Amino acid sequence: MRGLPRFMLAKIAFRSFFLQSSWNYRGMMNMGFLYAIAPGLDRLHEPGPAREAAYLRHLEYFNTNPYFASIVMGVTLALEERLSHGEITEDIIHDTKEGLMTACAAIGDGLFWDSWRPFVAAAALTFAFGNYLMTPLIFLALYNLPHLYFRFFGIFWGYREGTHIIRSLRQFQFPQIRQSLRYGTLVLLAYLIPNHVNLHTPFLLTNLPLEYFYFGEKVVQGIGALLLVALGTIAYRARIDVLLISFLLMVCALVLYHWGILI
Amino acid sequence: MPEHLTASLLIALIGGIVDLDSTATWQFMISQPIVAAPLTGLFLGNMFGEAAAGLKLGLMVGPILQLIWIEQLPLGMNVPPDAALASVLSVALGFIAGHGYESYSEREVCYTVALLLAVALGLLGRSLDMFVRRLNTSIDAWVSQKVEDNQLWAIAFGHTMGGVFTFTKAFIFCFLVVWLGVEPLKYFTSTLSFKHASGFIVVQGLLPVVGFSVLASMCVKDRREMRWLIGGIIVFTLLPAKIWLGIGAAIFVLYRYGWRRAAK
Repeated sequence: MRGLPRFMLAKIAFRSFFLQSSWNYRGMMNMGFLYAIAPGLDRLHEPGPAREAAYLRHLEYFNTNPYFASIVMGVTLALEERLSHGEITEDIIHDTKEGLMTACAAIGDGLFWDSWRPFVAAAALTFAFGNYLMTPLIFLALYNLPHLYFRFFGIFWGYREGTHIIRSLRQFQFPQIRQSLRYGTLVLLAYLIPNHVNLHTPFLLTNLPLEYFYFGEKVVQGIGALLLVALGTIAYRARIDVLLISFLLMVCALVLYHWGILI
Repeated sequence: MPEHLTASLLIALIGGIVDLDSTATWQFMISQPIVAAPLTGLFLGNMFGEAAAGLKLGLMVGPILQLIWIEQLPLGMNVPPDAALASVLSVALGFIAGHGYESYSEREVCYTVALLLAVALGLLGRSLDMFVRRLNTSIDAWVSQKVEDNQLWAIAFGHTMGGVFTFTKAFIFCFLVVWLGVEPLKYFTSTLSFKHASGFIVVQGLLPVVGFSVLASMCVKDRREMRWLIGGIIVFTLLPAKIWLGIGAAIFVLYRYGWRRAAK
């Protein structure tokens, strides 16, 4: 059979955007995976038992990071092509796909969900709290740069490199990138906490001369925010639900306001 | 068509589209609260002739919800609270209920109570997500049967049905919450005295604390990092509140600990 043209791979990359439409508890992303690579399978296998077997093969359990799924799709199609030439057996496809989806899930989830999203969100929050109206666009543009890169190039890359893809993925030094993103998020958090928690008390207004008032208020706000965040962090690490923490904070704020300590 | 009904339908449509991005398709992250909330505010505000106010409300609500659920990850079987629907509903309820009030404090009460309600609605949204995934499991069994019978069209059909279920779930949920939820919220606001209403403005200013706590729990791994964070907070307390200072420092740290080390 023929190889897959670039247009076909681009079509599969586009279909990979719908990977999770039918996420289910039995096969997880299996239907989405099969739906995405179906045009490739149709081209590689003649209608009949071979094509039916290929479809059934990919209806088995599949779960990985959605942004890295196109890499798995590319590698799988490269292997399907070799199978159609009789170079390998079905077992190799099964084992490679399973190993690769686990590796891609670990890399992708750690990079995108655990590091990149919090960093971009924290960066966008600095703009949002400053009332910049373009904040959503800044967030989307920043977030989707690596997302679209892996989605579109992943499939070409996986198809070209086949099982050698893991060696190529190492060049990205993902642990290093993740650590630097975490540090970057911490810096942004250090900026956000003292500047965007609104904590005002009437005592400063009555006890401080006007020339020191603004500085005094900023210091009180910074220290107060630090203490509140420390308490919140302790509560969250003690596995108290976010909803309950929010409710407790609301009650405390209302009581302190009622007593005239906060305004 | 009454304005309230039109607004409910608009929100249901936005909710459906945003929820598709959240769990089913694209994942461009328009479902993240920092995008979904301002987007809802913009469309809703435009409908009521107050686009700027809607967008501003979205920019107030979005960051708080973004922070609160930043650690909830859609990994494997884990279904996180539906932050997308919570953002859409929080802005919708707050804006429509607050729209009828002239005074600043009553509007702010609507926004704050809607925000707190949305956190609970996000948890309810998670249960609905799980329900849809159970439906998809039945479809998966049906599709497998059809493929075994060589009816390969079933894949595209079953897969599309999954998306349709997700959209329908979000559409109906958003419509019902907005259609039924605005009046109770208005009633609650009208029962508060001015003093209590002003208290809710204080609450609103403090709510980011919850999100910052979640983000700190997520990022701080050891005592050394905690000391650095506290030191950073003290430095930024003393420095002027300029965005470029925060962004500049973050870029410096990224370069120092990321690209430079990787290059070595």
